[in-house]
Amino acid sequence: MKQTFQVKHAIGGRMFIDSDKHGVPYTQEAQGQGWRFTVHVPNGPMLEEVLAHKHELNVFIFQEYEDQPTLKTWYYIKDGQVEYDADKGILTIFAESRIEYYPHEYSV
Amino acid sequence: MIDVFPAAERHSADLGWLRSQPSFSFGGYHDPNRTGFSVMRVCNDDYLAPGRGFGAHPHSDMEIVSIVLDGFIRHEDNLGNSVVSSFGEVQRMSAGTGVIHTEFNASEETELRLLQLWFMPRERGLAPSYEASSFDPNKLHNALLPVVSAQGAEQMASIGQDMTIYLSKLEQGKQLAYTVEPGRKQFIYMIEGVLQVNDKQLETGDTAQVETLNELAFQADSPSFFMLIDLP
Repeated sequence: MKQTFQVKHAIGGRMFIDSDKHGVPYTQEAQGQGWRFTVHVPNGPMLEEVLAHKHELNVFIFQEYEDQPTLKTWYYIKDGQVEYDADKGILTIFAESRIEYYPHEYSV
Repeated sequence: MIDVFPAAERHSADLGWLRSQPSFSFGGYHDPNRTGFSVMRVCNDDYLAPGRGFGAHPHSDMEIVSIVLDGFIRHEDNLGNSVVSSFGEVQRMSAGTGVIHTEFNASEETELRLLQLWFMPRERGLAPSYEASSFDPNKLHNALLPVVSAQGAEQMASIGQDMTIYLSKLEQGKQLAYTVEPGRKQFIYMIEGVLQVNDKQLETGDTAQVETLNELAFQADSPSFFMLIDLP
């Protein structure tokens, strides 16, 4: 199974972080009733875009399997709960809820 | 003040299956000087090829209105809605805490043209909802017909924002007036035709952002189809 973490702009889907393409290490853990993502991101344009649009982010985990359909999980970031620790170079994103979906289950 | 943004200066994208003309920054088109107006964030004039569309994707905390101008759109979402709409119908989706949906051209033969309009909600974190409404196209003629409003009504979708969307088809030479409530802003999108708005002229694809005026006077220099949005 291949897992990818993505952060996109909610207005049209502009990609800010793609763990597969950008090679940024990340962790995901439950926190309270939600989830906390930590991402190692250097201070730079990518980070600036995320922070500038922290109220308009779509956060995803894609799980791609060889023998079954891709599972997409979208995380709801309600009030821009996005923080950056410049000393450690760690971006933290808090998600309140999530929706799992299989794209193939929607008709075209 | 009426600030006109001409169609000729508008961004356009052609992906083959989708021709899109966004009035504000959207996706790969990013202009920091054009990211919205009042609570309005997106105004896309989209043409979708037969049978094509936007696959399953999420939205949250956004009021999304789709107005079909030509053709047929099929909306499907994780709330259990599956609806086909055509001209004379409006779809409103309040994304709230999250909704997954698709939008496709429901026809395998004809192109779909629709306006995609996104607005920031009055309140974030509400439960998602969807509504499809219909209006009588005959009532567009020489009138400003409200098709979406905060209160909603028969033949008018409701929306989670203090705003009203009007559509109008004005015959050549005809006039209309719109009285502005203090402090309100207006966005005008020229769907088709040539229209005088006070001392400004709008042509097909032009937009106008209006602030601090007491009245708008519309006069059609040619048969005109336009949208007026009253915003906070």
